[in-house]
Amino acid sequence: MKSNMKPIMTLRHISKRFGATQALDDVSLDIYPGEVQALIGENGAGKSTLIKIMTGIYQPDGGEMRLDGRVIRVRNSQEAQGYGIAAIYQEPMVFPDLNVAENIFISHRNFGPIVRWKQMYRRAEAILGQLDVRLDVRQPARGLTLAAQQVVEIAKAISLDARVLIMDEPTASLSAHEVHQLFQLVDRLRNKGVAILFIGHRLEEVFEIADRITVLRDGKHIATHLSHEVTTEQVIREMVGREVHEFFSKTSAQWGEVALEVKGLSKEGVFADIHFEVRRGEVLGFAGLVGSRRTDVGLALFGIEPADRGRIILEGRELQIRSPKQALEAGIAYMSEDRRQLGLVLPMSIATNITLPTLKRYLNGLGLVRRQKEKSVAEKFRERLSIRAPSVETPVAQLSGGNQQKVMLAKWLNAGPKVLILDEPTRGIDVGAKAEVHQLVDELAEQGLAIIVISSDLPEVLSMSDRVLVMREGRQMGIFHRDQATQEIIMTAAMGQPQTVLEGDHE
Amino acid sequence: MSRIVRSLKSWEGFLLAVLVIIVIFNSSLAPEYLQINNWINLFQLSIEKIIVALIMAFIIINAEIDLSVASTMGLTAAVLAWMNHAGYPFGLALVVALGLGVLAGLFNGFWIAYVGLPSLVVTLATMIMYRGGARVFMEDKSFGDFPEWFNHLGQQAMIGPLPFALILFFLLAILAIIVLQYSGFGRYVYVIGNNQEVARYSGINVRRIKLILFTLSGAVAGLAGILFAARLGAVRGDTALGFELDIITMVLLGGVSIFGGSGTIYGVLLSILIVLNMRNGMSLLNLTGHLQTGVIGILLILSVLLPNLAQWLRNAWQRRRMAAPTGKPFVDSR
Repeated sequence: MKSNMKPIMTLRHISKRFGATQALDDVSLDIYPGEVQALIGENGAGKSTLIKIMTGIYQPDGGEMRLDGRVIRVRNSQEAQGYGIAAIYQEPMVFPDLNVAENIFISHRNFGPIVRWKQMYRRAEAILGQLDVRLDVRQPARGLTLAAQQVVEIAKAISLDARVLIMDEPTASLSAHEVHQLFQLVDRLRNKGVAILFIGHRLEEVFEIADRITVLRDGKHIATHLSHEVTTEQVIREMVGREVHEFFSKTSAQWGEVALEVKGLSKEGVFADIHFEVRRGEVLGFAGLVGSRRTDVGLALFGIEPADRGRIILEGRELQIRSPKQALEAGIAYMSEDRRQLGLVLPMSIATNITLPTLKRYLNGLGLVRRQKEKSVAEKFRERLSIRAPSVETPVAQLSGGNQQKVMLAKWLNAGPKVLILDEPTRGIDVGAKAEVHQLVDELAEQGLAIIVISSDLPEVLSMSDRVLVMREGRQMGIFHRDQATQEIIMTAAMGQPQTVLEGDHE
Repeated sequence: MSRIVRSLKSWEGFLLAVLVIIVIFNSSLAPEYLQINNWINLFQLSIEKIIVALIMAFIIINAEIDLSVASTMGLTAAVLAWMNHAGYPFGLALVVALGLGVLAGLFNGFWIAYVGLPSLVVTLATMIMYRGGARVFMEDKSFGDFPEWFNHLGQQAMIGPLPFALILFFLLAILAIIVLQYSGFGRYVYVIGNNQEVARYSGINVRRIKLILFTLSGAVAGLAGILFAARLGAVRGDTALGFELDIITMVLLGGVSIFGGSGTIYGVLLSILIVLNMRNGMSLLNLTGHLQTGVIGILLILSVLLPNLAQWLRNAWQRRRMAAPTGKPFVDSR
């Protein structure tokens, strides 16, 4: 449809190698003004490397980039900025103590030595107005929602006259409503003629926003399609290079006796009056928008931030959980949503990470680590979860996101919990690994484990869970059985809309 | 990350190479250098520092720092000398001095592990505090008159040509290697040094590990203070002043990251040998002590600079390679 248009930026034969890994292999790409091009691929496909080359963080080993037909070399992010190439990341990089306007103009150097506040505020307001966003420019960035922080980043890019805007998984941590708002914003940018390169993992979003879809796999350019000319199935096939079923269907496991019962769990100013039970073999989903405090309930059950009121009863025995150590000893494990900061020791080996919570089991009488035993257990998990790594001695940092996620799962499975809490178990991992995680959770439930899945991915929660508990701003809005829960019902509950279908076993 | 691991391994290889060069150089300067007595003497001159360096390696790998070790050494030495001088039984003085070292470490550990204050600030404060304590006991006097056996212990050979402190150092070094590189406790030290939050989220009692480390640090420093008193035969208020910097230098030069999480006792042992032999060589060249200290400082900067420099050169080389024709067909899109 835009075939007669000239691309604003072209990449030709870009290659990049890191040690033994060919991260990018002869990738060529055309980026057109006024168009959203989605860049998709499994983790490790080379998307991040490509955008880092475009923004001057990495230098390519070969190939060339052209802007308006002229060959450019981008040696650092300042130069990228000069060329009008800007990037927005999943985690916005705003300065919390500066206000919105200061953040927008943070990289401007043409203001002279003295800040002209009035002018800056006026221009910030003008830019936000252009984007049709209402945001107080004098408000400090601290306390802005993630979505608002992204808006600030976008405004920053606009203020620098960005012509090529790279958005790296901007929706990963946003709620459905915020995604919708972001897409409206992207639409306005597109109409202004900005070229947008959109990196995403959720295919339905990609199809909603993109005009053109480019698939990378193993560092190679596989295909570029106009998005209305291609199906989800075909794109997935190209991403993984094999057939997968996008939607996972759960087997209904036999439920056993009640594993965990929670009554009136509250934490001052965080969440209040949480009631639920999970049976052996059951998967209980926790749904809700960002800020619904789902994770805080998980943290309370694991003793990281203990609750101040309420009862936690595990297999009929009441627990006082004040620390993760006590939770683990009782049989509750919590897999964090943040695998880089809270889940894994990245520079250390797969084996070390897997045995970390249960290291005492691997010590001999002198307190020394029995490496052989440790290795064989790690080896067992590597096989069982098909963790792709050269050996169990490989540092976790070298693995792809999906494989890191599996190492984290192995770490908690090895602890042999009775209740396993999984917080965003598939965040930021590719379709193939996602399907494997879903399959695994299903198997674990079948083996009689009680599982709590916290997830912002609504279709995922619905397909994985037997029942779904919906939270909104620290309050429990209801528990819905699998057969009565639809995306609409859950969303309505999560947004706190008055409704009549609020049933379930919430007293 | 494998690059880091490899460069760490090669860092120890590099240290070994440097050590060999220094040893060859020194032995060409003076034939007496290679004699066993010279080697024992070279260890003895810094024996207290290198004992404390062993525990300092644990602390820094844990991503903390203990600046108060030298003041703790001074405090225990001062209390020992003062009690002895004041007529208390010497055995009691020894027990009190050692106990005071443990308490000094425990006090640091409490603020760092349980109150959550940064170790840099806490131990900077107690460095001043403990030194103040030592000066209160000693005023500006110097106390000696230790029992004969105590001076012997510090100054004369015990087994063969080896003095007590040196034997103790070897035993502690072996113990440190076993604990840090092979035990569950050592594993926790690395994990916490890498990422304290992951450790906490894995059910590890981070506070307890930190408290134990700082208490051990105080205990070892206390012991080192007593050994120092035995070797010198007299104690003053400024005994062991400034030792913490030499100790930290040896640990960092040994490849222990100041940000925690990496480094080994092997590296620290090598760097200890390098520092001791360099000082010995410079003495053979008749360089003054101050000049020697300067050279050690340059060495520390180099030890931080070299790995970065290697990385920079690698990048520069890659950039040049990129600028050169790559052999790929050059296709013009228009």
